Amino acid sequence: MYDAIVIGGGPNGLVAASYLAGTGRRVLVLERGAGDEDVRPDAGWVPAPVVKDLALERFGWTHPAADPWLTIPLPVGGTLELRRDVAASAQAIRVVSPGDAARWPEFCARMARLARFLEGLYLSPPPDPTGGSLSDLLVLGGVAARARGLGREGMTDLLRTFPMSVGELLDDWFETDALKGALAAIAVRGMTQGPRSGGTAFGLLHHHVGSPPGVFDAGSGGVRSALLAVAQDRGVMVRGGAEVARILTTGDRARGVALASGEAIEGRVVLSSADPDHTFQKLVDQDLLSPEFRRAVANIKFRGSRALISLVLASRPPFDLLCVTPSLEYLERAYDDAKYATVSARPMLEVRYGGATRGGGHRVTAYAQYAPYKLRAGAWGDAERNALADFAVEALAAHAPTLAGAVLQRAVLAPPDLEAALGLTEGHLYHGELTLDQILFMRPVPGWARYRTPVLGLYLCGAGAHPGGGIMGAAGYNAARVVLGDPLEGG
Amino acid sequence: MAALYDAIVIGAGHNGLVAAAYLARAGKRVLVLERRDRVGGAAVTEEPYPGFKFSVFSYVVSLLRPEVIRDLELPRHGLEILPLESTLTPLAEGNYLATWSDHDKTRQELYRHSPRDAEAYDEYGRLMLQMAMAVRPILGMVPPDPAGLSPRDLLGLLKLGRHFRGLGPDRFHALYKLMTMSSADYLEEWFETEVLKATKAASGIIGTFLGPRSPGTAYVLLHHYMGEIDGAFRAWGFARGGTGAISEAIASAAREFGAEIRLEAPVARVLVKNGRARSVVLANGDELRARVVISGLDPRRTFIGLLEEGTLPEEFTDAIRRFKFRGSSGKVNLALSELPSFTCLPGVGPHLRGAISISPSVEYLERAYDDAKYGAYSRRPYMDVVIPSMIDPGMAPPGRHVMSIFVQYAPYQLTGGWTDARRESFGDAVIDTLAQYAPNLPRAILHRQVITPADIERITGLSEGNIFQGELSLHQLFFLRPAPAWSRYRTPVRGLYQCGAGTHPGGGIMGASGRLAAGAVLADGV
Repeated sequence: MYDAIVIGGGPNGLVAASYLAGTGRRVLVLERGAGDEDVRPDAGWVPAPVVKDLALERFGWTHPAADPWLTIPLPVGGTLELRRDVAASAQAIRVVSPGDAARWPEFCARMARLARFLEGLYLSPPPDPTGGSLSDLLVLGGVAARARGLGREGMTDLLRTFPMSVGELLDDWFETDALKGALAAIAVRGMTQGPRSGGTAFGLLHHHVGSPPGVFDAGSGGVRSALLAVAQDRGVMVRGGAEVARILTTGDRARGVALASGEAIEGRVVLSSADPDHTFQKLVDQDLLSPEFRRAVANIKFRGSRALISLVLASRPPFDLLCVTPSLEYLERAYDDAKYATVSARPMLEVRYGGATRGGGHRVTAYAQYAPYKLRAGAWGDAERNALADFAVEALAAHAPTLAGAVLQRAVLAPPDLEAALGLTEGHLYHGELTLDQILFMRPVPGWARYRTPVLGLYLCGAGAHPGGGIMGAAGYNAARVVLGDPLEGG
Repeated sequence: MAALYDAIVIGAGHNGLVAAAYLARAGKRVLVLERRDRVGGAAVTEEPYPGFKFSVFSYVVSLLRPEVIRDLELPRHGLEILPLESTLTPLAEGNYLATWSDHDKTRQELYRHSPRDAEAYDEYGRLMLQMAMAVRPILGMVPPDPAGLSPRDLLGLLKLGRHFRGLGPDRFHALYKLMTMSSADYLEEWFETEVLKATKAASGIIGTFLGPRSPGTAYVLLHHYMGEIDGAFRAWGFARGGTGAISEAIASAAREFGAEIRLEAPVARVLVKNGRARSVVLANGDELRARVVISGLDPRRTFIGLLEEGTLPEEFTDAIRRFKFRGSSGKVNLALSELPSFTCLPGVGPHLRGAISISPSVEYLERAYDDAKYGAYSRRPYMDVVIPSMIDPGMAPPGRHVMSIFVQYAPYQLTGGWTDARRESFGDAVIDTLAQYAPNLPRAILHRQVITPADIERITGLSEGNIFQGELSLHQLFFLRPAPAWSRYRTPVRGLYQCGAGTHPGGGIMGASGRLAAGAVLADGV
């Protein structure tokens, strides 16, 4: 009998487990993969309280701040490198556009102000605008006060920027196609939305949270292995190869899980870091959920849009993060293909260096977008997968000539492969689209945004809950605190 | 120098006329200056071909505020709204979808396509009605300033907060979804019939430069649903005598209250002295003085066009420059020798008394948008077609007809620019598309008037031909319309006000901006 069972051994699951174990609870983490099978780069912001509370640095977490953090190929040849220092980036931008260089510092300052506002919302359960309790009102009052504290300019930015398309936002500021294309690519990361779709400016802010002004990517740094070490140090039992088939209940209360092998494990509470579709449609007895709730879950938009191309190279690439998106129009046309359920003829590529392999090679992961989960032509086949890998390899060779012929291994996971390998519904890396109608108090479904579920004792702690994907551990952190503060949990 | 007016209103569009009427009604001495030879702005009826009357631009009415109709006694001034009774969406293969003002008939028709959708339709209608009711008070409200510090601002914000919280969780969440989703995704949650989703989604793209799959369009859907508040189709209709008759009725009311309306009197400048608007200068050089000047022109025309450079704070001018217009629609008006006969419902029938929507699928609409995104007019456009002469026979000579075709997308920024040749080929694309559903149409055409966004701009003055005086996108609504901190009809120039659709609550023949602007002028003690 465990105090808590956590489904899924990703960053959010491990963070939740570690916090619970830190209070002396017996915690079991069940991971369906056998070893370290999650090939996704663990890139994303690790919230400062998580780093501190779990002493991640003591467990081998290094956070090398990539500088330049983004490398953008230029159409005339050469690259534009964005650095961690705002002035240094402006210097680099000046070569392509003095006007853009002049505007860069103010753009960075204003976006950073909005990202800090978001950061404040991300480390607690989302405010509930319709909540009636005193604490709801206090939280809402606090959010309103913080918004007003941004000042007139900041508040206007806040109201204007969230619903805008990232294309409009960038057109307001810049003229350089390559710069706009690369920043827009970050904003629509993992989404089935184009840079001209409303609400995509929010995406840029989302990925900006936790990074200094002018850095719109949190980078990566092996947080998964550090989190595993923390969890084990705190006495969390982590079982690999343990696929959960069902959540066991007595009445309307969770009492444990049943594995695919048939084994039943009892736990006082169950936390699921699987996505809400997987959790509620596959693991929970449907009779426990109201028709309205089931309908809301069925309406969550997943729509995975990225294929993951894993490469091993003979030499280290001359970048940490390379974005191949020459312009907003290039990105929009790539999206047009996806709208009609075909793979982008010319996808955007986000290529991240993933460190040296044991064999002396260099690991690189490239996301190709848009690669829709459902294809008009039918199922994904090797032809589609290979075409994407070829595109990535050619693009790498074009933009980093030293890499031509350096590819030792390659593998492609299309959205259906990601679904099969990692249990991600429709292969969506963020456990559901980060559109305005699916964030904050709407995530995963309206009325259930605070990690609790209609099943007593069952909580969500994954990226399908607030504040969503692309962040390492915030949902797990928030969920663990809800569980610990919950009288239902039984203390 | 001539007499001093209490207020000069620039532009005799329907909002300018409404503002003038309210001010005159309050006993003010009001002068309305109109560039053209007729009142109405984009709400005009013209007779370019003898006997054939076109509502040249705006062609249906639904959003006209009931308090405006009541306060100005518009029916007494000749306003008569004739209802549109149906919407027909013909399909290429001879099938169609029709909805009628008769609820049972609609249900039967929907049942033919999908029993599930027939069931969902009523629930959808109820929810949209609730949502429209939830938003309705906002339309008649002066937006509070979210960053304002005055007690009135704070009170306004609190009231707004209370209003939304008062909806309760279910309705609040539904409204939030409408504010943030795409119309296609929103409708996808309700219906399975493609043609039904597309026909509903179409009202979410009207006047915007977005496709039905882009977030932000569900709000426009709601904006257009507002007119249906009083029952299925009752409030969507024509004015007898065309849209110009609405303008004429308001003008008549304004005159009766004592307002003076001067036609063919284009304004060149608003003169500002010591930070205060003092007078307007006409194109002929005449200077007319007034205590306040109220502009019914769109924000770009008003602030960039009428004021001396350097009059306004740079920050404000920047905000106005960023305000998005991006006209996306055109119009084709036809004089017909005979009625169109639709392959799916041949001959004359009640369906010709309603709207005919060319919106066979969401993908069709989305592809129409794709063309425009890259600078072309849609080869296969979305169209909203009505035949006003079927309802108001006075619009055409006996036995003849007029047809109004609203077309989207026709981008203002057409690659290479709009020329006479491109205007005609755009007209050809429209007729060609429509002829696929009504093959007799081409031979029935006696006269054809094609209007591009460039024409709308040239004739009415609407920047980039945007029919709403600026897009109804979320970041251009309510307290952000047209610029942060200046959403309340006042401007950085004392004594200069705005009353056009570029202010809250935006476009459509609504009259709300004109009424609220007049209220602001009166509240300031003019």
